[in-house]
Order: sequence, then C-alpha cells, then structure tokens
Amino acid sequence: MFPTPSTTNLDVARVYEPAEDSFLFLDLLQEELPFIQKRFAAANAPTPLVVEIGLGSGIVTTFFHKNILPDALFIGTDINPYACSISKETSKENGDTRYFDVLRTNLWDGLRPGLVDVLLFNPPYVPDETVPSIENAVKTDDWLDFALLGGSDGMQVTSAVLDRLAEFLNLARGVAYILFCKRNKPVEVANSMRNRGWIVDMVNERKAGWEVLSIWKFRKVK
Amino acid sequence: MKLLTANFVQCTVKACGSSPDCFPLHFDQQIPDLPLELVHEDVDFSPEFICNVLPRIEWAALLTTARELGNTQLPDAKPEIENPHAAENEQLLRDLHTLLLETQIIQGSMRCANCGHIYFIRDSIPNFLLPGHLVQ
Repeated sequence: MFPTPSTTNLDVARVYEPAEDSFLFLDLLQEELPFIQKRFAAANAPTPLVVEIGLGSGIVTTFFHKNILPDALFIGTDINPYACSISKETSKENGDTRYFDVLRTNLWDGLRPGLVDVLLFNPPYVPDETVPSIENAVKTDDWLDFALLGGSDGMQVTSAVLDRLAEFLNLARGVAYILFCKRNKPVEVANSMRNRGWIVDMVNERKAGWEVLSIWKFRKVK
Repeated sequence: MKLLTANFVQCTVKACGSSPDCFPLHFDQQIPDLPLELVHEDVDFSPEFICNVLPRIEWAALLTTARELGNTQLPDAKPEIENPHAAENEQLLRDLHTLLLETQIIQGSMRCANCGHIYFIRDSIPNFLLPGHLVQ
C-alpha cells in the first residue's frame, strides 16, 4: 500500500476534505499502476499529460505523481479559488514534482484540445435540483457545494465532461477515470458511451455508507 | 504558472475555438494594475525529462511566449536531441529546463489575439473563468 498524501493545511470549511470517494480513487490508481505504466512509461515516448478536473485538496494528483507516474506532466483545475492554492501546497508538502500547474476554470475550459493522456475526475455526483451558480458562490464566498452537487441524477457535470471527452483526450493513447455513485445510473451511461465508440470498463466498486461508488475507465476504440 | 503552461492553454471563448489566433495567448500588453512578475523557482534538472517533453511542444508558440517574456535565445527550429547526456546538448537542455519549468509567472495577464479577452494570473494561478456574457 502506498501512503496517503498528507494535507496538513487543508481548511475543510473552504475545500472538500478527502473522504471515502477520494480514497477509492487512490486505491484504484494503485490497482491500475501496471496498466498505466505499460501505456505510458516506454522510454522516449512523449511525456504523458495527466489532468485532474476539480482537484480539490490535490490529494489524487499528488498521489499520482508520487506513486504512479513520477515523470509525467500534471495540470489540475478547480472553480474554487481556495482549492487552486491548497492543491499546490499539498503537492509541495508531499515532495512536489517537476511540472504541476493549476488552472482556475470550469471543468477543462482553457486547455487546448487533444492533449490529455490521463483524465482523473471525481465529480460532484450528488443528485440535486440544480448545480450551484458561480454568481452566488462569488457573493457568499462558499464554494463547497461545487464539490458535491451534480444536478439532475447527479450527472449534469459528469455529462458535460463526457460530451467533450473526444475533444480533450488524446484519442490514440488517452484514458479517463471517472467516479460515479449508483444514483448516477453508471451502467446506462456506460452503454450510451459504448454506442459512441468508447471502450468502457468498470474498474472498481465499493459500498460507502448508503452509497455505492464505482470508478469507470473510458478509452477510444482504435 | 510555469512558462510551459502557456503552451497548453488557449482562449476559452467559444467563438475563438476555430480561430488560429486563439493560441498562444499573448503577454505583450500588460495592464498597469497587474504588472508582470516573473520569478525563478528551482526544479531538479533531468535531461531525459526535457527531451521527452520536447515532442509535446508547439515550437512557434513557445518562441512567441518566450520573446514576449524577454527571452530571444531559443533556436528558430525545435531541436532534435538523440542523446540527452551528450555534452554538446547540455547547455541547450539546461536553458530549456530553466525556461519551461523554472520560470514562474507570478502575476500578469494573457491576451487573446482573436477576441481581445484578457486572462489574469494572480498568485501564479491563471483564471480562465469567463464573465457571464461570454459563456455560451
């Protein structure tokens, strides 16, 4: 077992505190280590770019650069300004890496298309009537709901990412890992993505309290 | 924001997506309230790392970014390096390392040459959130 990165300076009133879903992600990455290394660790291959959308505390990206692909390039994004700065601190606190930058943005807006080799996404998956509004968050300076509430079926944010997966992912070698809860109807989502030409596998599932969480892997059919 | 990141980002205004001018974003016009601030931040040097990053780089865009930030020392064409440990490559790889990984843009702004939108960088973090009227 690789150690869980430490997040000493995390202000849990402002940034999502790593919980069961985050730890499931770390366990998955550990299991996927052989697949990921085989895919990207070949000598002389162009360095892979690992992107995490909504990286929060930064624990998943930090775990990835410490344990999975230490020589990759890392970009994280978050809409929450406090997550943007604390995630860099988390990386530094755990030894940092050669290249890690954070963009404050919505999902992956601002990235050039076709660059992402590994996408990591632990979305706001809790069903709610709406997704939070940025105007409201600016006014109240409360950004935590962005990490939790996913609108209808909890799928509004994940769907926005899936709809543009083919645009941002490097289709030749890119792979996306996305977390779902059972209420997101992941089996239906997987089937509809298969119909759009993706190879979709469930790679991990776990009961967390009354929720069933699963992580799914998406690659383009060659 | 490390200088290399300028090679990975573009204007996020939807109408600019199809324009060749949406990339790279430009540092040539800074605003008085947010003067450009660059610092050097030490990163461990690895010749292999720089060699393996080179294929990812859009060289013409990097030349533009580097020039706008005051570096005119880069070769006109992307170097092709077969042996990262050959003595004759060391200076070039060290220069690229310093430029791409150790140059931090602490604050300043980047401008889209197509629509003119300005993206701010504060505390080393670029902000790509658009004001409401630009979000489609």
